[in-house]
Amino acid sequence: MPLYLSPRIGPTLQSALDETVLMAQLSDALGSPLGVILPQQLTANVAAFRSVFSDHRLSGQIYYAHKANRSSALVRELAATDAGIDVASLAELQHALGAGFVPQRVMATGPKNEEFLWLCARTGVTVSADSVGELAALATLVTDWSLPRVRVMARLSGFTSAGVQFNSRRSRFGVSAAAVSEVLDVIEKRADALDLVGVAFHLDTIGLPEKAVALEGCLGALDECRRRGLRPWSVDIGGGFGVDYLADGAQWEQYTSALTEAVLGRRAPLTWTGHGYGLRAEGAHVRGSLNLYPAHRPVSGPAYLDRLLRTASPEQRRPLGTLLLDNMYDLHVEPGRALLDQCGLVLASVLEVRDEANGDTIVRLDCNARDVSLEEHGVLMDPVVVHRTTPAAPGPVGVYLFGNLCLEADLITRRKVFLPSRPCAGDLLAFVNTAGYLMDFSATQALRQPIGRKVALYRDDGAWRWCLDEQYWPVHHRAEAP
Amino acid sequence: MRFENMTDAIGNTPLVRIDPAVHGLRNIDLYAKMELLNPFGSLKDRAAWNMARPLLTQAVERGDTVVELSSGNTAKALAVIAGMHGLTFKSVTNRMKVAEIKDLLLLLGAEIDELPGQAECLDPTDTDDPLTRMYHRLAGSGDGYLHTDQYFNELNVDAHLNGTGPEIVKDLDGRAPDYFIACVGTAGSSTGVAAALRQHNPDVSVVGLVAHKSDFIPGIRTIDEVHEVGLFDPGVYDTVETITADDAIDGLLTLVRRCGTLAGPTGGGAYQGAVRHLRAIDAQLTERHTAVFIVCDRVESYMSYLRERRPELFGRPPRRNSLRTVTDADVRQAATMDVAEAERWIAERRGLVVDLRSPFAYQALHIDGSINIVDELFAELLHGGLPFGHRQPVLLVCPVGEKSARYAALLTRMGHPDVRSLDGGIIAWRDAGAELVRD
Ligand SMILES: Cc1ncc(COP(=O)(O)O)c(C=O)c1O
Ligand SMILES: Cc1ncc(COP(=O)(O)O)c(C=O)c1O
Repeated sequence: MPLYLSPRIGPTLQSALDETVLMAQLSDALGSPLGVILPQQLTANVAAFRSVFSDHRLSGQIYYAHKANRSSALVRELAATDAGIDVASLAELQHALGAGFVPQRVMATGPKNEEFLWLCARTGVTVSADSVGELAALATLVTDWSLPRVRVMARLSGFTSAGVQFNSRRSRFGVSAAAVSEVLDVIEKRADALDLVGVAFHLDTIGLPEKAVALEGCLGALDECRRRGLRPWSVDIGGGFGVDYLADGAQWEQYTSALTEAVLGRRAPLTWTGHGYGLRAEGAHVRGSLNLYPAHRPVSGPAYLDRLLRTASPEQRRPLGTLLLDNMYDLHVEPGRALLDQCGLVLASVLEVRDEANGDTIVRLDCNARDVSLEEHGVLMDPVVVHRTTPAAPGPVGVYLFGNLCLEADLITRRKVFLPSRPCAGDLLAFVNTAGYLMDFSATQALRQPIGRKVALYRDDGAWRWCLDEQYWPVHHRAEAP
Repeated sequence: MRFENMTDAIGNTPLVRIDPAVHGLRNIDLYAKMELLNPFGSLKDRAAWNMARPLLTQAVERGDTVVELSSGNTAKALAVIAGMHGLTFKSVTNRMKVAEIKDLLLLLGAEIDELPGQAECLDPTDTDDPLTRMYHRLAGSGDGYLHTDQYFNELNVDAHLNGTGPEIVKDLDGRAPDYFIACVGTAGSSTGVAAALRQHNPDVSVVGLVAHKSDFIPGIRTIDEVHEVGLFDPGVYDTVETITADDAIDGLLTLVRRCGTLAGPTGGGAYQGAVRHLRAIDAQLTERHTAVFIVCDRVESYMSYLRERRPELFGRPPRRNSLRTVTDADVRQAATMDVAEAERWIAERRGLVVDLRSPFAYQALHIDGSINIVDELFAELLHGGLPFGHRQPVLLVCPVGEKSARYAALLTRMGHPDVRSLDGGIIAWRDAGAELVRD
């Protein structure tokens, strides 16, 4: 029985996929792999987050975490909405400013070098500071270059809880919440250069309780600010809202159960060389834990934000959203992956399909594991076969997907992938819903293999149109014929 | 019965027949092993005591902390046992999902450590799962911990091999039952009891019950997780079947409402799983057979679990003056005051300003002269009637003016002639630059 992990495909993405002739033409003209971006979907995703804000009567900004995709079309389309952008490098900041973001809509996060800090201060974007040292360096730049006061957020980490200890992974980033007074000392001393507008955190976890502890910790830090007469008005809770990748939760359950059995040797391996994705057998028992993205996540994206805001704070026992509102605080979020849900796909062309002597079927693709980094990010999700002609032999087939690098490890996924019909050379595989981190985050030019081009695919005048990603601007309405 | 210690009261629980009119089996006598009657509340008292006892003298000398990976009954029993010996107990858990048990553990003085949730951005180089890391931590710090290790400790099995199992045989007049049905958590009880029963009758049919994959039944494992349990040996069970949370609750309701047995969800699950399994067999039987299942613990700790899954069981009559009865039309009728008018009204001390926000937010910044009654408390007061007189003018304040308008509408309906809501709430007040103070 084939173990499918069918991707969740929304109506817009489906309608793009249905353009099989266009897909084949694009791939023929621009090569494989090809990133296909659907910028207009982003507008709908921003609106879905906005409606959670308005349901909770909260003000604040949605900052798209640019790092999730290098595309210009996405950033430019976003500039046309009311959302903001979270930039984490000098080049991302330049990109955002060039796409039309005024500095008020930009938040700079992550580790920063001096050039990045200088451009932040010079243009007046908000700096989410990672450390006391960064604040001091920023203040020095402001003085040395006679720049206006910079709006700063203090990023905190290492929150503690009373009663139950919610452990979080240790973070490289942010100032320990217990040491917030050191941050405030610097801010007060350098009030001429630094204007504290809020506090921030970003936790790399799917766990709500940890985030609830962190959010309440931020409220405590803001209270400390008010005690000192400072008046910051916002909390930035970072990203990590997640995406539901799979159409059918039952498939995910069947697959992971089968994987456990395969690891225990109770059924034929489901993976290349019996890889266990974190599970291993010790005698008759499995040890370890599944090191995979929870691809079936019914509560994700805006719904996850809503759930968090409805969660009672551990100490004050009032919903976190209500507490934010009670305190008149703005809520900022920095979703990356979740804002790019359904915003793109990667097309890869099939070079060869062959059957090995041991019964395995191999599909060799003209792209590599860095071009569709499903495996690196632990997302298990099937590609969609785009046939050029009606398949000769219909019926499911289990295949391994090989990449185009001369490297033993270059499998697009170590998992045997079940396809509803056998592809043949020249057909395309569409890796859908890969815009967030899975498209170009890790792409490299190893072996001088080209990094895939990107096109923007958009609806205009009731039809799909396309252009190169870097050519895309939201003003694509062609002039009407006279 | 006179004992020196509560631990002496562990075990020797009754075996009670379930009324055939309830289960409907015609050829099978169904008995429940009433483990809920153990002194700390569950079957796990036996395992906890058996695992901890041999190590206690040493642990007391060194002042060790007792540690276990448990979010339920084992933690509860160990916390009590640790306390009786002047030791601390630390429970390490993936997620403490049942609020009552968490509160009870804190009450008993236990420390609770929650392992971190899964990373959102996967780090493929991080092959160590939190559990493995915990084992390293316990091993690494060497002394200082008494780790009972229930998922791998044979003494967990022995507690049932030498206790629970032989008790069942004795109460059945020296014979083993034909069927034994139990839920599987650590597998300690089912493995131990099965071995004891098979010493008397190698043909006992043993049914292990685990939770359906996407379900959560506190205390037992799902069909996948069971393979992670060190004590779990598939050879022990003639079959392993799954039960859903719904099955467990259906069974629980039968036991608590009809059998005088205040069983928790796994007791209910064991009953439901037993009857389901036996019904098919019963139809074929020509002679009398006997079956035993385990009622592991009590219902009281699972009220929040039940309320979440079966809210209809807790239906209460509506309370009077409930905010939910206020309609949008009522709200549109409610009297409001804009910021400028409110500033004058307050300056002239015309009435009482009630701030409905949380105490924490109120203390941080509020309108001078206002008093704070957080909305939940205010709602509670109103069920009893008006908390101030009719001649007392009132201005209600909330964050954006929505909640205050609803309460103003409710108070108006309750007969208050002069209650108003601050339009746009305290956020509009702040945005207009009006004064906010903190004490
Ligand atoms: C500071 C910060 N904000 C936001 C994000 C975006 O996270 P996600 O794409 O999971 O929403 C990241 C991701 O690494 C981050 O480091
Ligand atoms: C409520 C409940 N039922 C059943 C069990 C299963 O018992 P065992 O761990 O012996 O398999 C447990 C074990 O923790 C439990 O807490």
